[in-house]
Amino acid sequence: MSTPEPALDDLTHVPPDLAASMLPPSVTTTPPPESLVAKRLRKFRRLKRGYFSFLLVTIAYALSFFLPLIANNIALLVRYNGSYYVPLFHYRGAAEFGQNAFGDPDYRALKQQFAGARQGNWVLMPPIPYGPNESLLDLPGSPPNAPSAAHPFGTDDRGRDVLVRLAYGFNISLTFALLVTLVGNMTGIAVGASLGYFGGRVDIFGQRGIEIWSSLPFLYVVIIISSVIVPIYLPGRYQLMQPSLWLLVVILAAFDWMGITYYIRGEFYREKAKDYVGAAIATGVSEPGIMFRHILPNALTPVVSFAPFEIVANISALVALDFLGFGLPAPTPSWGELIGQGMENLTKWWLVFYPLGVLFLTLLLVVFIGEAVREAFDPKEFSRLR
Amino acid sequence: MSLPVDQGGPQGAPLLTIRGLRTYFYTESGVAKAVDGVDLDIAQGEVLGLVGESGSGKSVTALSILRLIPDPPGRIVAGEILYKGRDLLTLSWEEIREIRGNEISMVFQEPMTSLNPVFTIGMQVTEVIQAHQKVSRQEAYRRAVEILTEVGIPEPEKRMKQYPHHFSGGQRQRVMIAIALVLNPSLLIADEPTTALDVTIQAQILDLMMEMKERRAGASILLITHNLAVVAETCDRVAVMYGGKIQEVAAIDDLFRAPFHPYTVGLLGSIPSVETKARRLTVIPGSVPDILHLPVGCKFVTRCPYAFEPCPDIEPPLIEDAPGHWVRCHLYPHGGTPAVPREPDPSTSSGSSRAQSRDERLAPPPSGTRT
Repeated sequence: MSTPEPALDDLTHVPPDLAASMLPPSVTTTPPPESLVAKRLRKFRRLKRGYFSFLLVTIAYALSFFLPLIANNIALLVRYNGSYYVPLFHYRGAAEFGQNAFGDPDYRALKQQFAGARQGNWVLMPPIPYGPNESLLDLPGSPPNAPSAAHPFGTDDRGRDVLVRLAYGFNISLTFALLVTLVGNMTGIAVGASLGYFGGRVDIFGQRGIEIWSSLPFLYVVIIISSVIVPIYLPGRYQLMQPSLWLLVVILAAFDWMGITYYIRGEFYREKAKDYVGAAIATGVSEPGIMFRHILPNALTPVVSFAPFEIVANISALVALDFLGFGLPAPTPSWGELIGQGMENLTKWWLVFYPLGVLFLTLLLVVFIGEAVREAFDPKEFSRLR
Repeated sequence: MSLPVDQGGPQGAPLLTIRGLRTYFYTESGVAKAVDGVDLDIAQGEVLGLVGESGSGKSVTALSILRLIPDPPGRIVAGEILYKGRDLLTLSWEEIREIRGNEISMVFQEPMTSLNPVFTIGMQVTEVIQAHQKVSRQEAYRRAVEILTEVGIPEPEKRMKQYPHHFSGGQRQRVMIAIALVLNPSLLIADEPTTALDVTIQAQILDLMMEMKERRAGASILLITHNLAVVAETCDRVAVMYGGKIQEVAAIDDLFRAPFHPYTVGLLGSIPSVETKARRLTVIPGSVPDILHLPVGCKFVTRCPYAFEPCPDIEPPLIEDAPGHWVRCHLYPHGGTPAVPREPDPSTSSGSSRAQSRDERLAPPPSGTRT
């Protein structure tokens, strides 16, 4: 009894690696805290096509805010008679630089003149020295001018550089689409949340109201409004400050918010029945707190997944309005107006091909983003994408 | 005001008094009288069990206390719920919001879905504190860590930053208890807190709740369950609910030793026991009656083996048949009057009913009385 049988000892002996594998898995490895949002962002980054489209569009959009420094007919810096001038920020008349003219100085001519004179004066022009609203009437022939080395996209029927106008138009289109999406979604979320959360009579009457509102023909309303309110263009101002842009944003948003209300309403109906909402109410969280802090973050999936496609729709809407002539007022560089010119000058291929191509490319990139966002929000782990 | 019934807890003065509570649900197919005249007292410092089958109205009773009934379709149509002298049913929404989570809090059945999936645990615990008290974020954080430690969450600082999906069911229920108790409420309503958990965790969670109650002097618990074993282990008194009405209220020992109501007898008979040699458990015949078409008289009449002449037509009142032991059954007549008052009358509650022994009345029924 004092010593165990050798055979028994063999039986009870367990190899150390097997013994280790029988131990419960290490309890110290708690998962790193990762929110659902972080998880979806990680998934989004893995979807290369959408992610790179996102980077491309974001960088291009960010750069487009610096377009006055990149493509402009106003000099960045002028050295004249011993002092420096920054005409972009402080207006200078032509006479101040010794040009025999009134109004805006011709900085390109000034640059050549200074270079020829060799008096220590010089002009620093932006990389593309043409403005979006500048008619280049000194080009050979009559506008629209075909693409050349100086104007790779040619000029339009008023002799304005198509490339520069498309670039400025990109900023306006995207800004406009983002603003409409933002305003429309905020309205839609507020209305949909109220319908879904309060339900009952609010829901029934609210929905009927939305149905009546959405049966208004959007285009006619826009035409009627723009015939009453004359769109004004304030020259020299930054695009965001144009009152006509904001007017158009409000009009478009007024017809854009209905779609998302149905989804938000449904999400709220579903979420408010969930236990965590009951638990939050039972702990005394206030009603707005329940609606916007607890339910809304759980109801945002449709908003985020639809946003890129709404941006696509709103870019197209602005193009359509500009094409018909009911959009932004005349000299604003806009894609729709250029496409309209293309239709009037079908033989001038650069007026057809480039505006449509840029529009197509932009919409395609945004759709790629939307596709990846949708995929990142899909709870199913495997799918055809990727 | 004079209360028609004082069911009396172990320490006398009730913390919460429910009188004639009626909560109806107006559905397309009719009015569902989920709670139809409930009288209940919860004394300070006691653990009251509320048992009953699914659909007996026990959860709706609990939700009615905090006015959490979804309206529409539900509505509290009558009754009063006195909490510390205030009728919770007449308070404004702002006032009841102040009560919720602060004075009376609740733990729900489903820990897996009772936490908001998009917020960290820390945010959800601190939210309750900041919803009721003007404290700094640091103070709220400190108290959240404290309560999480108290409910037995290891490494609370680290777990505060994690999301509900990083927690197991038992841990989530611990968090729910922490949220419910962080403001030291006087009453904790636990609506089947262990039903969704596996058996080993059930015992831990119950122990935790009782331990937390012990540390908070004078705190009461209303424990809603259909598990009589849980009741036997934790409660001071038990109320048995059936068909939207309280059928029997008694101290825990009285109820398990000598149940009065045939329904309670049936419930206790259907629990497996190590002492009896019965090869089959007794079952209560039939199933819960359709809540839209409850019997006019006693709600249990369709399944009661002892049902006799007045049962289908006349609703028996809730009477005190023994000290502190209330029952709603015609087998326990009250003052010999067949006319049944809508509200139980304590003055006529006892007396001749004790003449007949309980065993005689609950003798095996003659064959053929089952419906």
